Amino acid sequence: MMSFRNFSFPPWTWSFLAAVIVLILTFAVSGAGGAQTLTLAFTLAPYLVLVGLGQMLVMSAGPGNIDVSVGKVFSLGGLLSIAVGEATGSWVLGLGAAAAAGFAMAAISVVAILYVRIPPIVATLATSLIVSAISLTLAKGFQGSADPALKGFLSWAPFGVPAFAVVVILLTVIVSLVLKWTTWGSHMLAFGQARRAAGYAGVKTKNILAAVYLACGVFAALAGALRASFSAPNVELGNDYLLDSIAVVVIGGTLLSGGRAVPAGVWGGALFFILLDGLLNLIGWDYAGQNVLKGFLVLAVLFLASGAPILARRSPSPDTSIESEDEAQEDRL
Amino acid sequence: MNVTGPAQTLSALPKGLALRALPALLTLVAMVIILIICGIIQPHIWSQSGLTLIMSPIVALAIGSMAQMVMMSIGDIDLSIGFFIGMITAMVASLLGETPIIGILALAGSVLAYAFLGALVQLRSVPSLIATLGASFIWLGVGLFLLPSPGGRVPNWLFNYIQWEPPLSIPAPIITMIIATAITWFVTKRTKVGVHFRSLGSNPVALERSGVSLLKTRMLAYATVGILGVLSGITLSAEIGGGDVNAVPGYTLTTITAVILGGGMFTGGRAVPWGTLVGAVTLGLLTVLLTFLNLSSNLQPAVQGLIVIAVLAGRLVVDRMVR
Repeated sequence: MMSFRNFSFPPWTWSFLAAVIVLILTFAVSGAGGAQTLTLAFTLAPYLVLVGLGQMLVMSAGPGNIDVSVGKVFSLGGLLSIAVGEATGSWVLGLGAAAAAGFAMAAISVVAILYVRIPPIVATLATSLIVSAISLTLAKGFQGSADPALKGFLSWAPFGVPAFAVVVILLTVIVSLVLKWTTWGSHMLAFGQARRAAGYAGVKTKNILAAVYLACGVFAALAGALRASFSAPNVELGNDYLLDSIAVVVIGGTLLSGGRAVPAGVWGGALFFILLDGLLNLIGWDYAGQNVLKGFLVLAVLFLASGAPILARRSPSPDTSIESEDEAQEDRL
Repeated sequence: MNVTGPAQTLSALPKGLALRALPALLTLVAMVIILIICGIIQPHIWSQSGLTLIMSPIVALAIGSMAQMVMMSIGDIDLSIGFFIGMITAMVASLLGETPIIGILALAGSVLAYAFLGALVQLRSVPSLIATLGASFIWLGVGLFLLPSPGGRVPNWLFNYIQWEPPLSIPAPIITMIIATAITWFVTKRTKVGVHFRSLGSNPVALERSGVSLLKTRMLAYATVGILGVLSGITLSAEIGGGDVNAVPGYTLTTITAVILGGGMFTGGRAVPWGTLVGAVTLGLLTVLLTFLNLSSNLQPAVQGLIVIAVLAGRLVVDRMVR
């Protein structure tokens, strides 16, 4: 393993490289105010990172695992936290309610995946339909605003360093450590690499799957709650976060086929996306042009990054393992 | 082993066929039940105009699901089809009506773009999920560029199609859906290309060793998806009488559900055109039923989600009985 390290870049390199290039372009276009750009990016990125971390855990749990309900859960978390916060007067209870809702909604997905054996993408889609019905009902005649203290904290940036970003960076570090140093983390990644082998080796596969989906639901709901406190709750608040969360996770180097989670890469991908939006706004592109360029850049990053120093290129064994995984998956479906 | 009534008749069929056809059969049962309930609530649907009315919004979904089915038969997933169909409606309502030649070129270009996407997926072993995700931003951008706000004007021949009343009082949407499905069935099940598609999904190594270019096969498959997407977009713009890139972003996931309901699999190697048609019509009729039931539009998605889970749970139960 070490010998590979010496010759290849870590998987998150490409996402940060892309972010830095966009940052340099931004500096070149705007001329000045570089620190401000960075502060703004670090104020907006943590929400996407939170959703991305959950999505990353789900995707690392093997091929086929994806949570397409994060967008709707994000919106629900936002609405619910503001509503509960307003009713009880405590933003802590609001955040708690959002986390509980995220947990409960993810539990629906977990039951559907584990016991009804529905493929994850369809199961989480069904969940997202249920969630959007709850959000729509909740949003009828919705009024309310975030707690000023929480709102103040989220936009608080001493010396240009957003405090909330630091919290999320700490969380990212914790997630990395859990994945790297705990038994649970190794079990999860082993499960993602070879479902059947991990099962035979005594990994409690159901617990792993349940844990990643529940964590993803809680992260998405909390991110939504905080995002809604930062700006304003809205049924459509989370819509962009579904596609963006999948994109930043994969750009960050996490394997869609599972078994390799790259928490640092989520930051790289999120900063890349947020900085790119900022740059395109700066040079005055409209929403249409922004999307076209964003699409081409995502494809370009994929084109450059995917053929690079990924282990699969060096030895044929990971390829065959992925195929046999597919067969195992096929049996399961 | 105790074999119950319905399972016995199914076991009379070859087991493989029974297992392949079973999911679609169950969905078919659900579809018929939904149709009958709709008919009881609103007997007017049993007429040419009534059936046309409830079926015409489903045509685009059915053809879009065919596109997703082809994609899933090669083991890929298309997360961009919703915006792609939206972009096509924008093209139809802006370019095709005013300058037909440029419009046709644009539609052909969209198909070509899909083929290139297939090349990217194959050459750089990029996961299809994420490549199509990137492409969906492009479709959205192009659609917004062509038609910044919903509207536009569809060509006259599309108007004529929508008002077409076929003889023998067969509803026009059903004819369109069956023709589209039959063509997809023929291509995926009865041609060499279709066999290549399916073996790309089930065993790409074997396909390559038999001397077939994986790159060419994947590009052809993606182009097929593009063609079906274009057809779906054209029927959708006829239905909504204009263009809107944001008309059906939900199709991306709904089409996947339709394929799964019809017996398709994520792992590829299986093409189920008729099953997919049944799945798409079931999902479409579900919306009609919920509207008939006067259910609050806010609650409709939840019921839809629960019914999808219920149908798949029912399949699991019957599946176990057959095995």
